[in-house]
Amino acid sequence: MHPIISALKHHKTAVILMVLEIALTCAIVSNAIFIIGNRLAAMHVQTGVVDNELVWARSSGLDQGASAASATSRAQADLAALRSMPGVTSAVMVNSLPLSNMNAWGACVQRRPGHTKDLVCNVILYAGTQGTVKTLGIKLVQGRDFLPQEYVNYFPFDDMQAPPAVIVTRSLADRLWPGKDPLGQPLFLGDKARDVTHVVGVVGHLVNPRINKYNGVERNLLLPVTAAAVRGGMYVLRTAPGARDATLRDLPKVLDGVDSRRIITERHSYAQTVKDYFHDDRALIWLLLVVIGCLLALSALGVVGLSSFWVQQRTHQIGIRRAIGATRRDIMLYFQIENLLIVGAGIALGSLCAVVLSLFLMKHYELPRLPLGYLPIGALVLWALGQLAVLGPALRAAAVPPVVATRSV
Amino acid sequence: MFRYNLELAFRGLRGFPKSTVLVVLTVALGLSACMTTLALLHVLSADPLPGRSEHLYLAWVDTVLAKPTNYQSLNGVTQANYRRIKLADAQALLSAHRAVRQAVVANMAADEISADGKHAQRAQLILATSADFVPMFGVALRYGRNWTAAEDAAHAPVVLIDTELAQKLFGTVNAVGRRVRLRNTLFQVVGVIAPYAPQPHFYGLDSFIFSSDGGENLYLPYTAALDAGLSPRSADGCDASYKTVSRLGWSDPAHCASLGFWVQLDTPQQVAVYRSYLTHYVEQHKALSGFGKPATSQLFSVAQWLKLQHVVPDSVRLNAGLAGAFLLLCMLNVAGLLAARFLHRSGETGIRRALGAPRRAVFQQYLLEAAAISMLGGVLALPLTLLGLWILRRQGSDFSGLARLDPLMFGGLFVMALLVGVLVGLLPAWRASAVEPALQVKSA
Repeated sequence: MHPIISALKHHKTAVILMVLEIALTCAIVSNAIFIIGNRLAAMHVQTGVVDNELVWARSSGLDQGASAASATSRAQADLAALRSMPGVTSAVMVNSLPLSNMNAWGACVQRRPGHTKDLVCNVILYAGTQGTVKTLGIKLVQGRDFLPQEYVNYFPFDDMQAPPAVIVTRSLADRLWPGKDPLGQPLFLGDKARDVTHVVGVVGHLVNPRINKYNGVERNLLLPVTAAAVRGGMYVLRTAPGARDATLRDLPKVLDGVDSRRIITERHSYAQTVKDYFHDDRALIWLLLVVIGCLLALSALGVVGLSSFWVQQRTHQIGIRRAIGATRRDIMLYFQIENLLIVGAGIALGSLCAVVLSLFLMKHYELPRLPLGYLPIGALVLWALGQLAVLGPALRAAAVPPVVATRSV
Repeated sequence: MFRYNLELAFRGLRGFPKSTVLVVLTVALGLSACMTTLALLHVLSADPLPGRSEHLYLAWVDTVLAKPTNYQSLNGVTQANYRRIKLADAQALLSAHRAVRQAVVANMAADEISADGKHAQRAQLILATSADFVPMFGVALRYGRNWTAAEDAAHAPVVLIDTELAQKLFGTVNAVGRRVRLRNTLFQVVGVIAPYAPQPHFYGLDSFIFSSDGGENLYLPYTAALDAGLSPRSADGCDASYKTVSRLGWSDPAHCASLGFWVQLDTPQQVAVYRSYLTHYVEQHKALSGFGKPATSQLFSVAQWLKLQHVVPDSVRLNAGLAGAFLLLCMLNVAGLLAARFLHRSGETGIRRALGAPRRAVFQQYLLEAAAISMLGGVLALPLTLLGLWILRRQGSDFSGLARLDPLMFGGLFVMALLVGVLVGLLPAWRASAVEPALQVKSA
């Protein structure tokens, strides 16, 4: 057996502890890196609207006690005032915005009435007043925008006549009519699927108000409605580049000018809204980064501690080796190879643990399975860390003069 | 002997100051990470109403006249079911009075406006319930009185408000006799209660689970609430004959299962009797069989209910697991450092052994040293844990604001520190006590 390995047999306790330590670090670090990557990918989602040019606001009393006519006239007065603001190119009212995490309307839609097998549920309904597609900067890949006469007073949860036209996302179209041209297809809305509407356009990307397993990422459609239908909704303003912050600042003054009794409950730049949506993901990423940092630092400390102890314990043997002809390089190499072997054993055990941990996480926390490609990343990181940590003790070992061999015997 | 070993242990601590500091820091970091996450987990999985919750049960009978929900379709999704019942059943169970106490519970949302119209709280969460709620759920009355079952039956427009709302609407905590407007109805304040917010919000999980800024601030008879045009915010299903689908923030309890029904049962016999009463009750609903539904009734204790509804967030458990793994790593590390440090003193050990100290004494000495060093880590972990909890409270999610260290967890910290010390010391101490005295004395 190679002398390095047989020498390790005399330090079973320390070796076992170090291998376990590296294994645990390896298992957690590779899974943590994977989760971070996963979250970063989720955060890179494209909303499908012009994030940096939008400002939105909600005001109290938009949904209470008003008749359809008065709600419409009030919203129109508000929108007219908002459009007249300098730097505002257009303003509309919508029920919700992608990743706004509020006021999401979900419903079931059908391709044919009466066929419950044909039901697709948890479809998000976006409802917007005239000009919504242009204002939000939604890009149609097929078909056309709504025509002015297609905007109707339609609240999906009341008994009302559905608008004649609807725009669906590519992903919803693929689900409803796989392999077919969605344009012109009939779609049935409402509880009894009585209301028929037809697809006039397809949008490439438009993300849901919130991303979850029920509603998916882009399973939504866009309805043309009048302001009365968008109860509890929000005003959305598209601003010229550079005018966004000023618009956000002046917005309460303008709305108060129309009706000073209301309270503006919320106003945000849309870019901030998107940022807020991923607050928890960012918090998790930071947490995991701190955990990874602490784990690696601890492992490195452990390696330094034990290696230093070994160097101290073997000073005499090192001296003898030097005296009978080993170079400094040989001594350094000895400790480096020894470290490589121990860390290697830890990585082997750790990879196994990483897979087990990943299976556990998959079962309990709805995470996808750890791709095996992440294991070599963890291995490389740990090997590099081990080599760095052992460098100091190894240099100290190499500096032991051969004359030590002749002393204290 | 023990004292002598203790003295040796402390001498050992002073002998290697650098490694002592390193070990203490490592233990403190591991312990504080673990305690921070455990404290949060402990708060979140705590009994919402200690001393009361073991007598509270959620009663459910499935009398919705519709086929078993066929909401699962192409994408196979089931919706949350909060086990609520329809108005007629709630009234029948309430008037049957088979439990010690019983209460209808439903969250609603409303603007609260003082009678003079000068002060308003917009879009507040309120609780429509019945007279037994206050004694049953341990709500503390500060001024005035609770409303009575007679007032429930008479649809009397009365409310209880909490002291914070009283202060906001009327500028005084004793607001008994004042009036508050909900929708278009004026309600008389008959009592003022201390702010009430058990965590988790087990009787209204449909509204929220945890909240750092209180719960409902206004309580009123469900009969009067329905009269005023207020309605439950969601439902667990509606009769098939009911024309409009229940829309967001509005559902009609006459046709939709939207009222929670809680009962107080003090003994196992009462529980068994009530269970069979519910079974009997639902079997009388012959109309249900037409929808292919078996007669279903259920009775959940608070603990069963919280488990069923997964109230403790997965992420909290995950973090506790992560912190546990971190502590384990710290322990491995410390064990390694201690092994190095004990073996470094093999010469000393050898001399002690050669002078007649039994192996047990050496083992004890090293174990004491490990325990002492870990206790020092525990002391340092306390401020670190408090810091960790402070950071956690600033995270701004609905439950993180509740993170506190209670006396139990405070004690737990030191028990854990001691345990960690002993566990971590076992292997190195055994290894160090196993050295052959003769060999060491010779080479020293």
